[in-house]
Amino acid sequence: MGNEALVFVVMLATFVVLSLRLKLPIGVALMVASIAGGVIAGLGVPISHLVEGTFAYLDEILIIATAMLFMKGMQKSGLLNTAVYQILQIFHNKKVFLLLSMMALVMFPGLITGVSTPSVLTTGALVAPVLLHLGMSRSRAGAIIGMGSIFGMLAPPVNIPIMIIGAGIDMPYMGFTLPLLILIIPVAIFTTLFLGYRHIKIIPWEELKKGMPESNFSQYGWKLYLPIMFVVFVMLLEKSIPHVFPNLGLPLIFLGGSLLTLVTGAPFKFSPMSKESVKESLPIMALLAGIGMLIQIMTLTGARGFIVVNILTLPDIFLYLGIVISLPLFGAVSSFASATVLGIPFSLALLGQNEIWLVSAVAFVAGLGDLMPPTALAGIFAAKVVGIKKYSRILKHCIIPAILMAIYGLFVIIDGEFTNWLEWFFLGFPIITVVVLILIIFFVIKLIRSPKKEKEGTVLK
Amino acid sequence: MKVLSKKNLTGVIIIVLCVGIAGFGSIEFTSQWEEDAVYAGPGVTEIKNLSDYFADLKGTAGDTKVYVLEGEEPGGTVFVLGGAHPNEPAGMLATVLLIENIQVSKGKVIVIPFGNASAYTHTEPQEAYSREFAIETIEGEERTFRFGSRYTNPIHQWPDPDIFVHSSGQTLSGVETRNLNRAFPGNPDGYLTKKIAYGIMELIRKEEADVSIDIHEASPEYHIVNAMVAHQDATSLAAETSMELQMENIRISVESSPERLRGLSHREWGDFSDTKAILFETANPSQGLFRGRGGSDLVLSGKDDFYLRAAEMDLLYVPYDEEGKPIEWRVNRHLRSLEMVVEVFSRNNPGREIQFKNIPSGERLVNEGIGAFLLSGE
Repeated sequence: MGNEALVFVVMLATFVVLSLRLKLPIGVALMVASIAGGVIAGLGVPISHLVEGTFAYLDEILIIATAMLFMKGMQKSGLLNTAVYQILQIFHNKKVFLLLSMMALVMFPGLITGVSTPSVLTTGALVAPVLLHLGMSRSRAGAIIGMGSIFGMLAPPVNIPIMIIGAGIDMPYMGFTLPLLILIIPVAIFTTLFLGYRHIKIIPWEELKKGMPESNFSQYGWKLYLPIMFVVFVMLLEKSIPHVFPNLGLPLIFLGGSLLTLVTGAPFKFSPMSKESVKESLPIMALLAGIGMLIQIMTLTGARGFIVVNILTLPDIFLYLGIVISLPLFGAVSSFASATVLGIPFSLALLGQNEIWLVSAVAFVAGLGDLMPPTALAGIFAAKVVGIKKYSRILKHCIIPAILMAIYGLFVIIDGEFTNWLEWFFLGFPIITVVVLILIIFFVIKLIRSPKKEKEGTVLK
Repeated sequence: MKVLSKKNLTGVIIIVLCVGIAGFGSIEFTSQWEEDAVYAGPGVTEIKNLSDYFADLKGTAGDTKVYVLEGEEPGGTVFVLGGAHPNEPAGMLATVLLIENIQVSKGKVIVIPFGNASAYTHTEPQEAYSREFAIETIEGEERTFRFGSRYTNPIHQWPDPDIFVHSSGQTLSGVETRNLNRAFPGNPDGYLTKKIAYGIMELIRKEEADVSIDIHEASPEYHIVNAMVAHQDATSLAAETSMELQMENIRISVESSPERLRGLSHREWGDFSDTKAILFETANPSQGLFRGRGGSDLVLSGKDDFYLRAAEMDLLYVPYDEEGKPIEWRVNRHLRSLEMVVEVFSRNNPGREIQFKNIPSGERLVNEGIGAFLLSGE
């Protein structure tokens, strides 16, 4: 075993023992594993590299801190309760429409930001109580929100993994809209109906509203919605007129939204709310800092090169398998890191076929990384939003849609002809396409019509 | 006096520890703010600053030295940019060798060794680059050079947008906002990287550079490597250069600058001025994703076992063997290419000739090393 392999094994073992056996916080386990890597490689404790590594995710850490503040503000001001009340009042008896529109709502912030976390923490936080009130289990609702946030992150107009890979292989971010839509829409429809259709109940409005928290709408009116309108509006402005509107950055936008919640709804004190939100988001911020250190030390010691070269030098059949396994697995660090470390070399190694489809599919598969523990940004935040502690309960619901995504992506990566067929199918015959999509919807509904009893089913009353 | 509770004491200890670690780290990080020494050789006739061409850069982290080497006879002008990406050291070293060695007899050679000065003041998180590397001169002086980042230091330009929208409307990932070679033609009212790009454009326009060369390196797994990328106005110059180099056993391909890929020097320099724009690439394993344990040894020797394995599996776009890609080999390719571009241009453009002597020869570079051509402080 080469030195790099030994370093990798020691780091992995240290992490597993500390996090699973000794139950240390994952951020701390990652930090100690990084130190162990440095020591075993004969580099001692490379302090400056450990510090530098933590800065890799500084922007993400700030986004998480402020997005959590925003979510808490929406809760305290009564915005969330009111939104749930009003959404259910309109859609409570239209199952398919309700589910698909909830999915679209979850995806929306991801579409404009290219990041999954804002999806979960903004519109995801609105959708969660709606689904729970209709009788869906918390873990299933979390799975829909988590998957939706990943679809949002990957869907056009902004797909950051593609931009990262594109920057690495000098490919402009152009022409990806159609491939991404063709990849994402069918899977999003399937996932929503598969996870949700038989697990929400049609409950008469009079009965449903008895168990619901009060709407604050009569007291505060549309003013209540100002914070979320502000956040979405500013995000849209930033993206639609970037040469005119300054780049404020997501942290500042979320902070602005959080401050607005102070004056638009039920009164609450900012200081305890901010302490609460920092307390809840601290483990995730520490996790990102730990991951930054881990990759830095892996690169420093050569363990990163060891992994990349070993995957890329697999025989063809295993190479494709390696892609669908390693891309999401490396997403355990972050899907963006996966796009950088593996997405770029995979794309370079496979150049020669339809490159736009190839990179779209690689990014599509890499996006699954946001479900992969320990970071699992989409999943862990979805767990927080639906109020469960163990993310694994959400992950198990995501397995089938995730496998479907991986297989779909793999077909596109392997077979250039398949992409021609997909384009022909979705563009050449739009009527047939619509009919087939409707048939898929009915098929999925039929398939899952007879509901099983959910162990953890919770109708909030 | 109230004694701290156990919980608070733990908190205090952790804070003190963090401050200590941050303080220790900052000593190393700030050491990279010190500029590398470049000694003006006998051919240097004037040292200017980029802010002399675009005043807004004065006093900013983007201002950088511009070395002018002018001959006694009038002729054409060639502009050479090194260090647009400070993690590609052969480009910077080639320009330093020009500044410290060549003597121009006809025309003018203008050289910027540290194109993105801000990007030299830090390294990229997760890339674990060595912060510097050293080369010994003949006199025994150790000349150290920084190995920086591909991107402008976020201390000087932050935060990045989620997506970077170039003035042409092209979108790239947000971090590319800090990439000098995606920022051309620049913007006088833009953020720092755009201002640097604008300053360089102004230099090319005001100096009426006939030929402009941007010297880079690429990882061996990157598909455009050992190549010249030429704007359409410079294609014939690059093609003729490539053929002449082939005769000297230097294989270098010519790639056309893609019209739809915006912000790069070979595209925008040619579109926004009358210069003939060409970009050089050599293979640099120390910036690649396949590299094993890096450090300054890898920067200089270019030898890496994982790259060797990748080459055996046909994953690289350049030949790669046990010899690696030493810095002398990479710098020599750049210097020979530059020399040939100037020669071909001068031959085809009477009245705009550029002539110089004392450029380090390939044989001596490879045999005696780069240190043989670096000046000492004394």
